Amino acid sequence: MSIKETQQQSRLLRGVHRTLTGLHPALESLIAALVGLLVGAILMAVWGYDPWKAYIALLQGAYGGSYEWASSLTRATPLILTALTFSICLRAGMFNIGAEGQLFMGATAAICISFFALPPGLHHIVGLLFAAIAGAAWSLVPAALKIMRGVSEVISTIMFNWIAKWLALYLAIYVLVDPIRAEKTVSIPLSARFPLLVARTDLSYGIFVSVAFALVIYFLLWHTATGYELRAAGLNPAAARYGGIPNKRTMFLSFILGGIAAGLAGATIVMGLPPTYAIYGGGGLPQLVNMGFDGMAVAMVGRNHPLGIIIAAIFFGGLNAGGRVMQFYGSSPVPLEMVRVVMGAIVIAMSIPELIRVFPIVATGSRNLLRALRGNRKEESA
Amino acid sequence: MSDARTPTKNDFFLRAENITKVYSDGTVALKEASLEIHPHEIIGLLGENGAGKTTLTKILSGLLPPTRGRVISPKGVVRFSSPREALDFGIGMVHQHFALVGTFTAAENVALGFERPFSLLRLAKTIEDLKALMEESGLQIPLDVPVEKLAVGEQQRVEVLKVLSRDVDLLILDEPTSVLTPLEVDELFILLRRLRDAGKSIILITHKLKEVQDITDRIVVLRQGEMVGDVKTSDATTERLAQLMVGQAEGMDAVELSDSELPVRRVLKPVDRSKKSILHVEHLTARGNTGDIAVDDVSFDIHGGEIFGIAGVEGNGQTELVESLTGLRVPTAGTATINGINILGIDPRQIYKLGVAHIPEDRWELGLVLPFTLAENAILGVHRWKEFRGHFSVLKWGKINQHVRELMDRFEIRASGPSAPAKSLSGGNQQKLIVGRELAKDPAIIVAAQPTRGLDIGSAHYIRQTLVDMREKGRAILLVSADLDEVLAHADRVAIMYEGRFMDVCSPEDLDRKKVGMLMGGVTAAKETA
Amino acid sequence: MSFSDIISLLRISLHAMVPLALTAVGEIVGETAGLFNIGLEGILLICAFAGALGAEAGGPYVGLLVGMGVGGVIALLFAVINTYWRGTQMVTGIGINLFAMGFVAFGLIKLGAPGFHMVPANVMVDGAEKAVQLAKLRTPWGMYSPIILVALILPFIVHWFLKRTRAGLMLKAAGEMPEAADVAGININRIRILAAIFGGVLAGLAGAYMSVAWLGLVTKGLSAGRGFIALACVVFSGLNPLLALLAAFIFGFFQALAEWVKTLPSKPIPGEFVSMLPYIVTLLVVSGAIGRVRFPKFLGVPYKRE
Repeated sequence: MSIKETQQQSRLLRGVHRTLTGLHPALESLIAALVGLLVGAILMAVWGYDPWKAYIALLQGAYGGSYEWASSLTRATPLILTALTFSICLRAGMFNIGAEGQLFMGATAAICISFFALPPGLHHIVGLLFAAIAGAAWSLVPAALKIMRGVSEVISTIMFNWIAKWLALYLAIYVLVDPIRAEKTVSIPLSARFPLLVARTDLSYGIFVSVAFALVIYFLLWHTATGYELRAAGLNPAAARYGGIPNKRTMFLSFILGGIAAGLAGATIVMGLPPTYAIYGGGGLPQLVNMGFDGMAVAMVGRNHPLGIIIAAIFFGGLNAGGRVMQFYGSSPVPLEMVRVVMGAIVIAMSIPELIRVFPIVATGSRNLLRALRGNRKEESA
Repeated sequence: MSDARTPTKNDFFLRAENITKVYSDGTVALKEASLEIHPHEIIGLLGENGAGKTTLTKILSGLLPPTRGRVISPKGVVRFSSPREALDFGIGMVHQHFALVGTFTAAENVALGFERPFSLLRLAKTIEDLKALMEESGLQIPLDVPVEKLAVGEQQRVEVLKVLSRDVDLLILDEPTSVLTPLEVDELFILLRRLRDAGKSIILITHKLKEVQDITDRIVVLRQGEMVGDVKTSDATTERLAQLMVGQAEGMDAVELSDSELPVRRVLKPVDRSKKSILHVEHLTARGNTGDIAVDDVSFDIHGGEIFGIAGVEGNGQTELVESLTGLRVPTAGTATINGINILGIDPRQIYKLGVAHIPEDRWELGLVLPFTLAENAILGVHRWKEFRGHFSVLKWGKINQHVRELMDRFEIRASGPSAPAKSLSGGNQQKLIVGRELAKDPAIIVAAQPTRGLDIGSAHYIRQTLVDMREKGRAILLVSADLDEVLAHADRVAIMYEGRFMDVCSPEDLDRKKVGMLMGGVTAAKETA
Repeated sequence: MSFSDIISLLRISLHAMVPLALTAVGEIVGETAGLFNIGLEGILLICAFAGALGAEAGGPYVGLLVGMGVGGVIALLFAVINTYWRGTQMVTGIGINLFAMGFVAFGLIKLGAPGFHMVPANVMVDGAEKAVQLAKLRTPWGMYSPIILVALILPFIVHWFLKRTRAGLMLKAAGEMPEAADVAGININRIRILAAIFGGVLAGLAGAYMSVAWLGLVTKGLSAGRGFIALACVVFSGLNPLLALLAAFIFGFFQALAEWVKTLPSKPIPGEFVSMLPYIVTLLVVSGAIGRVRFPKFLGVPYKRE
């Protein structure tokens, strides 16, 4: 092979790689999702289940009909927001793992609107506002610690998650508790509940809040000077400083936006989830937990882009919804915890850049393809 | 009895045959380059930036594998899969960017290279051995100080000692003199000659024509990956070497050649400078990142229509001085004003509003956000200006893209379009983008720090010409450069900076290389006569 | 507060210190070489589960070894992804945590009780009593697990190792300036993988200890943030194993304190606030310690030779 050919082959292979992975990040997410599902299938088989039946049940439970779709979208609603929490901060160069705790605080704050009356519409807005402020407030201290004292925001946000959990539990059990039914808090009054989007499902207008917020963030990050500054600060803080961007203020802003997102997620749950529209104190806040961590998975699969996040959230929401069905399906049903196993495997697969390269089959396959193509071309030119 | 033995056919240490290197992104760094290396020889590896010199030596020293070709010794083919194997064979390299662990002392850095991981670290023995080596070679460095606290020249000596301690037969040095004062260069050359006389082979990578003729026995020229010349130093002329380096005779105009004596060929036409100074700096003092004084009581003026050059080896405070004037560092004392308005300790954006353009010395770290597109980089620093931003800080991408296209046109920036990622551009085009962006601000004063560093000759020439044009239009220009010839040829007045102070400020006509060399090395006229 | 109360508090503190100390020391070795593993929490959880299974199958030592082995394997995967495959360490770690949460919850259901599983002290096999949990040693001041000794001694060994052997120097170089280490002939990827495996083995031991030698049970949330508290210990320690041991003891003490307050007949503070204590203390310590410590320059950055 002459130099030119080596060069060409490198360039072509590179182009193939780039096409397959770089230019199409969606494809990388897709491959990671498939890898995750594969790992899940292997584990299921090892533990004695039938992966095929399980996945078919999963798929049907996620997207099989309008009820199933509504279920998936319901579960996607808070995931969009907690994913945004992680992604906005990541774009600014920070790791905000605190969506979990910020969501707890947001939900708790939203419950507080039950104690006064307002006309509907206004009541909704006040509920969202309370939640947003609570979420933002909860993210402020880790932000301040990082920016002023250089404390790792990873550790501080995680600690705040745990503190929030206990605080929320305390408030749910002793302060905001429903006088009649002690296992839950007071319910969100009718004037503040999100009306159902589809009758006889869980899907409420909350989904519009999520999607709207995602679109706002998209616009902010790519079409405003403030968003530009945020992205620059995250990618190259030195150059951002050179460009006169106030890095500290920008990082603060990202945390506040992230906190607002997580707080709103909490609001969409309590204000949008029938039938009780409340937080259950017993059993460790069942409807609220894990939204934060699942949100991170959604963020990564969605490539930290608001539009990708929406799609990824629908996928993960589908996994959750389908999981609920899967666990009742057939003679040996798969517990829905398997869904989180799959999610974890997907995220691990996502952490490998250019996953394609890991599979030598594809690499040699593409090389053979190129050789075949070049062989043809040589004959033509001869 | 001459010191450089005439090489016979079988009398070689290593021979590289038809080495080709193609990187994974398709760039051809080397094209069938061959080189024979003999003992008792100093070879100069000459070429401009990007010619392939570093690539070739990285292959020889085991850091990179060749795509094609082979390396043979008198005993047969050799193949190194790691720098350690090359070291064991007897090849050691002193890199341009030192491969030293900053928090380690010199002794610990040397100890790093030895085998047997589970053995005890006997630093005392290492220090003893090093002391003996220092005696032998004449290099002196403190052995118990963390290397990051040493001066650049001392750090380089640690690198050299590191390699020497492995008893190498071939010593490769990559642009060693770019961080040394002329006095330190002399000391280094004495050492190299001593090593050569003892039988070692030395490859000296450089792009400096004068230097290569001073110290080498043989000169090998690379151009765009190809070996285009292999001559005995005594047979070579500066013009011939320059021609080989750059290509055709037309390249000669772009290369500012300096005679060994004064005067350096001057580029500037006489221009009236403004009556009042635009930039006025008085007693500026600033500390560096380590807390030591980096800028020491510096005062100067720059008028419109003049280029004020600051020459000096990098690391003498130039960076901190530029940072102080562009809002990136807060000085500890002194004043600096532009048209009377203070520019110290304020935000870069405000400084830009006062009419300052800053071409930073590190285009990747400071000047560009590499993952951003051309358009996004083109508004860095001016992204809040009215023409690019509307209400609620919404960006007007239509206007911005149009602006970028104009810049691409005017400054001949080659890229696929405004939405091309900045990292896909070549170094020269990246720098042109930065220059274009800065000049679009219509500045009153341009601060250019190392503006042509690492660029190909064409781009470097273009940028220098742009600065000269700006001078003729009446702007004030501060040119900081470690390239002495560049400064001498393009400045109305030159300040030589050493350890934070201006050793002297004068017109280039009053300087000859010898005097400049001494000033750069900290030797003032007073010291000289003492 | 009586004397026996104090002894009791110290006893629980020492026990609580063990998983934190082991995990932190292991992570110190990993971070010195440049790998930041946020998945420690997940490793702790999975290895607690795996260790329990191993102990039920083959006795306490098998249980501990199984825990160490599983921890090593997970760390190996983490390391390979983040060296040779140039992955993003933070993402892999988060993935490990997610995976572990699901896997252990899933496994517990398979074992019978959702979310909860008791590890018996002994089982009857063919009429003879076979140990499952690692027996605690009886002393005049209460029952203590022998693993505590391991947790107390290991930091000293690791500290000596890092400071006084060539390998320690190589590890530091790999994290601080991998290019220098590469040129000196060190295989960066290999050394990082070995460091990570060491960390994983220790975290695995910590996890197995929790189920087999200390608490005797496995729950979905057994790790309770200990992996992250161990990370806080690492931050506090500035990569000095001895300081990590101290930090582990301090946090262990507050965990013990929280437990103790819950047992008081008249609760001065609601249990929920007491449960917050360990995490608040962690925050305070971490906030105070910063500014003093300096981490490897290339921590978290994959190395590419170019």
